Amino acid sequence: MIGLSHYLTVAAILFTIGVFGIFVNRKNVIIIMMSIELILLAVNINLVAFSAYLHDVSGQIFAMFVLTVAAAEAAVGLAILVTFFRNRGDIAVDDASMMKG
Amino acid sequence: MNLQAIAFYVLSVITVVSALGVVSARNPVHSVLYLILSFFTAAGLFVLLGAEFLAMLLIVVYVGAVAVLFLFVVMMLDVDFGSLREGFVRYLPIGGVVAAVLVVEMVLVATAVGEQGAAKGSGAPDILLDAPNTEQIGRVLYTDYIYFFQAAGMVLLVAMIGAIVLTLRHRPGVKRQSVMDQVARTPAKGMRIVQVKTGEGISE
Amino acid sequence: MMDFSGAVALALPEIILAVGALILLMVGAFGGDKSTGLVSVGSGGVLIAGAVAAAYGPLGSTFNGGFVADNAAAFAKVFIYGFSAVGVLLGDRWLKRMAASKFEFPVLIVIAALGMGMMASAGDLISLYIGVELQSLALYVLCAFRRDDAKASEAGLKYFVLGALSSGLLLYGASLIYGFAGSTKFVDIAAAVQAGAGQGAIFGVVFLICGLAFKVSAAPFHMWTPDVYEGAPTPVVAFVAAAPKMAAMVLFARALLQGFPGAVGQWQQVLVVVAALSMGWGALAGLRQRNLKRLLAYSSVTNIGYALLGIAAGTDQGVTAMLVFMVLYMIDTTGLFACLLALNRDGKPMETLADFAGLAKEKPGLALCITGLSFSVMGIPPFAGFWAKFYVFKAAIAAGLWPIAVFGLVASVVAAFYYLRIIKTMWFDPSPGRTDASPLDARGVAVAAALFSCGLVVLALNPLDTVAKLAAAAFHLS
Repeated sequence: MIGLSHYLTVAAILFTIGVFGIFVNRKNVIIIMMSIELILLAVNINLVAFSAYLHDVSGQIFAMFVLTVAAAEAAVGLAILVTFFRNRGDIAVDDASMMKG
Repeated sequence: MNLQAIAFYVLSVITVVSALGVVSARNPVHSVLYLILSFFTAAGLFVLLGAEFLAMLLIVVYVGAVAVLFLFVVMMLDVDFGSLREGFVRYLPIGGVVAAVLVVEMVLVATAVGEQGAAKGSGAPDILLDAPNTEQIGRVLYTDYIYFFQAAGMVLLVAMIGAIVLTLRHRPGVKRQSVMDQVARTPAKGMRIVQVKTGEGISE
Repeated sequence: MMDFSGAVALALPEIILAVGALILLMVGAFGGDKSTGLVSVGSGGVLIAGAVAAAYGPLGSTFNGGFVADNAAAFAKVFIYGFSAVGVLLGDRWLKRMAASKFEFPVLIVIAALGMGMMASAGDLISLYIGVELQSLALYVLCAFRRDDAKASEAGLKYFVLGALSSGLLLYGASLIYGFAGSTKFVDIAAAVQAGAGQGAIFGVVFLICGLAFKVSAAPFHMWTPDVYEGAPTPVVAFVAAAPKMAAMVLFARALLQGFPGAVGQWQQVLVVVAALSMGWGALAGLRQRNLKRLLAYSSVTNIGYALLGIAAGTDQGVTAMLVFMVLYMIDTTGLFACLLALNRDGKPMETLADFAGLAKEKPGLALCITGLSFSVMGIPPFAGFWAKFYVFKAAIAAGLWPIAVFGLVASVVAAFYYLRIIKTMWFDPSPGRTDASPLDARGVAVAAALFSCGLVVLALNPLDTVAKLAAAAFHLS
């Protein structure tokens, strides 16, 4: 029988894949942003699963706001990425850093 | 194994595999497509949990807007994505080990919270409550949660201002259509009647 | 649930800011860049009106527990809005000098201040998240505001990527807490933690602490700070370094003390480790810096460590100490960044240590300001920074955290070294050339901050202490 912990496991795996994606794709900002989207998807699965098993709708409301804000965040992030690309002609952050990290 | 369990396993395996595809694809366009697949199947999981409204929202917002935005930017930026994969192989072994440890810990933590928390002993999600899912959300979203709803509106406003202020450029010297000028144009403004004398022509 | 007019009265500061931002945006959109001056003045007015409304507004909780207007929130909001108004002033004048005035700049500061106010008033995990995101998104854009400046857009990108990651961590923690407690309201979470074993929720709290530590730039989550401080425009940094830290610290205190008073033992350990790492790391890493903005970044890491110590104490006295510390620190750091803003050589900002050589002969007034503010941040009596640290250490020792207080004392001695180096360079090294005339606004802010930190603080300490005690009492601690 499928229980709450099954859903939480899927979310935990997605979260880890997101963190792993950030770790191995340090230069490619676009993939990093997609990894962050995966982390937020994991959060949403967590929230919706808890909401369903708690019979409480506030988790779904929370997930809805996470979705909304994540969309706004993606828009701002991509806008900053585009300005960065216009200045540098590249999107590699790690190596060609103008500042010593 | 009942039908719901089969659906759960199929959907979650596709979600996880496509998420792996997002972080490991060579071509970022493929990454975006994997991301879309991942979100699509996650929406299926939401339906299984009885959250139809959020499932549809996930597809509309993510697949319809965010993923397309990503695709747009990937195709707009003329970047050699091959060179950005440097270090991928180098970080892969250690990243894999860390991720394996992390996933075990996270699963343990998540199941612990699931089994000890407020949802302890709760049965399967009761999909047929007194109202359909969308109505349940609609009942509270504009009453109990009006503050968050308005605040989320401000967040979207910031995103709009930010995207415009960072990327919009007014290029001087671009010829634009001015509908007002066109409509306001009268024969008196637009043309001139000149008597042309024979053999002289017009010079201007 | 309170009636509508009661809810509006409680949320009046937020409503003033939100409506004000919308109106100013319209003024700017229709008036074009010519109206920037008007929008800036309007933004300052809106922020001050918000601060007055927060100071004299009614107290209570509304919107289903999502919005709390108590003394702590009012205290934080008055200072947040005040420092945001200073940010508008410095930023507007600076953009004007750069001939890059844009009306969006003050509007974004107002919206960021709105987000910070929401953070200070958050009574629910959802309002916590939305408040944090509202201020963060506005700050990312402000950092990258000069879009033709490669360094600024790199700073914005780094800030964004790490900030978004920290939001992800914070949210994952929030989702676990919701799953454990069955509610997103701090009051209900506290009841659930009290009733059941705190073990399940503590995982969520650890994630939450990690996410918030990113936002206040506490070690080991501080890696964005030096890059953002160096790359972003100086007036933006002056803003980022002060008001958002106050908002995040009050949020930190509220989330932990109101949401998890039953699990103090567990989160206290995590917080003590974070505080110790921040104090130590900030002090040591600062020693290697030659760029003053990076140095101030590490200094802020150290100082956030002291402030966290106040929360870690978990007592009324600790929260009072944290609030007093943050106010005095905000004044010091704004003053120092205003000094940096006032100093240019050949049209270029002076940012490295070598640039400051012989400043005492060039600009004795500003050199004196920097010296005074440095003494204050070092914690030399009777300057403001001394009192700030005194409060925190006293609270930490009273709560039995004396080993960590001793460690903090050692760290502040190490950190004192890099301020002494600046002072020595300014007063005793030969000057490499003439500096440009310093702008009035930055000089004014610098002098005001220095005057406060080096003298007026003695007069202000008593009222500040009284108000901070009132604010801390809102958390109902022992």
